[in-house]
Amino acid sequence: MTATALESQLVVGATLFVLGMIGFLTRRNLILIMLSAELMLHGVSINLTAFSRYHGNPQGEVFTIFVLTIAACEAGLALSLILSLYQRRKSLDVFLWGKLGEDDLPVFTSTPVPPAPAVVDPNIDLPHLTPAGRMPKTQSGTRAKT
Amino acid sequence: MEWNEENGLLLIPLGLGWLAVWWLMPTGKQRPRILGGLAALAAILMMQLMLLPPAGDTVRSVLFFLFAAAAVISAGLMITDPNPVYSALWFALVTLAVCGLFVLNSAPFLAASTIIVYAGAIIVTFLFVIMLAHQSGTTSSYELQPVQPAMASLGAFILLGALLFTLQEWGHIDGKSTNEHAEPGQFISVPEGIHPNPLSQAPVDNPLEIGSLRVLGRSMFGDYLFAVEMAGTVLLIATIGAIAIAPRKSQGTL
Repeated sequence: MTATALESQLVVGATLFVLGMIGFLTRRNLILIMLSAELMLHGVSINLTAFSRYHGNPQGEVFTIFVLTIAACEAGLALSLILSLYQRRKSLDVFLWGKLGEDDLPVFTSTPVPPAPAVVDPNIDLPHLTPAGRMPKTQSGTRAKT
Repeated sequence: MEWNEENGLLLIPLGLGWLAVWWLMPTGKQRPRILGGLAALAAILMMQLMLLPPAGDTVRSVLFFLFAAAAVISAGLMITDPNPVYSALWFALVTLAVCGLFVLNSAPFLAASTIIVYAGAIIVTFLFVIMLAHQSGTTSSYELQPVQPAMASLGAFILLGALLFTLQEWGHIDGKSTNEHAEPGQFISVPEGIHPNPLSQAPVDNPLEIGSLRVLGRSMFGDYLFAVEMAGTVLLIATIGAIAIAPRKSQGTL
């Protein structure tokens, strides 16, 4: 209940937050990045409970419960995201996701497109009816839209 | 210069901490980890000396410093261990130490629920790590190449220094506070015209009773009822999202 206790707890909370931040910034494992975010949440929770005790009201602890709730949501979402990311690249390395382009697409080069081979009508052997009447005029407006 | 005399001493543990974290970061080369460990220990001891010597309740102070040191050391080892399995275990230790701090802050219910939630989360994460990262059985190369370890820890420790300096300043501002009717520890005055919910006005005479279920429940379901409903909605949406995002069995598992 003394000021000493409060300040020490704030120092511990700040240290945990900063260590979590270092982990978040430096590690390349997706799961460890998520754990580092949880570490930062722990630092915040310590601050909240310290102030709760200091001021003698339960608001800080209620906030900590909300932090816990959001942490649970975050863990669930992050793990499912990590799983689906892992399924694509078979690795937890976050650097594989540093580029948003797709690697397996061919690089665009401005070579002229070879003419498409003439489509052979598969029904060429079958007897044909002579077309009757005129082709209806297509409206230019609809063609432009499509 | 006056500032230097007052606050300059804080720079030493901050610099030592930065050096320690930078040194302990996993690299491909073999570094003597003991050097980083010594620097980190020195930084922690200096910080502890700087935090005012505990007055009064000795057992409480000893327990506090024990839990705090356990939390900080485990956190440092967690972010610097090249093996993700060990990192998850260190994170479990951090969680336990933080729960100890919660108990010291007279929040036993919070400590219990944190342990329950994080025990599940940690076990799941642990399984994930073993399942995903350790299929080859060796430490992956990307674990040994952290991103900009020196600059990242420098920036983070600058942030820590700013926080600690602010804290020190705040500790010294007696009489300069904007709060006119401040209680001894209150540096933000309660705004006028806000009437708390009568449900949460349970008498909290005994400080040990702050974290009790009665007071907590009255506050949660009195003052923060709307927020509780919102939190429940967020949980539901997160569950739906997790189910939607997770890969289907038809897409092949792993």
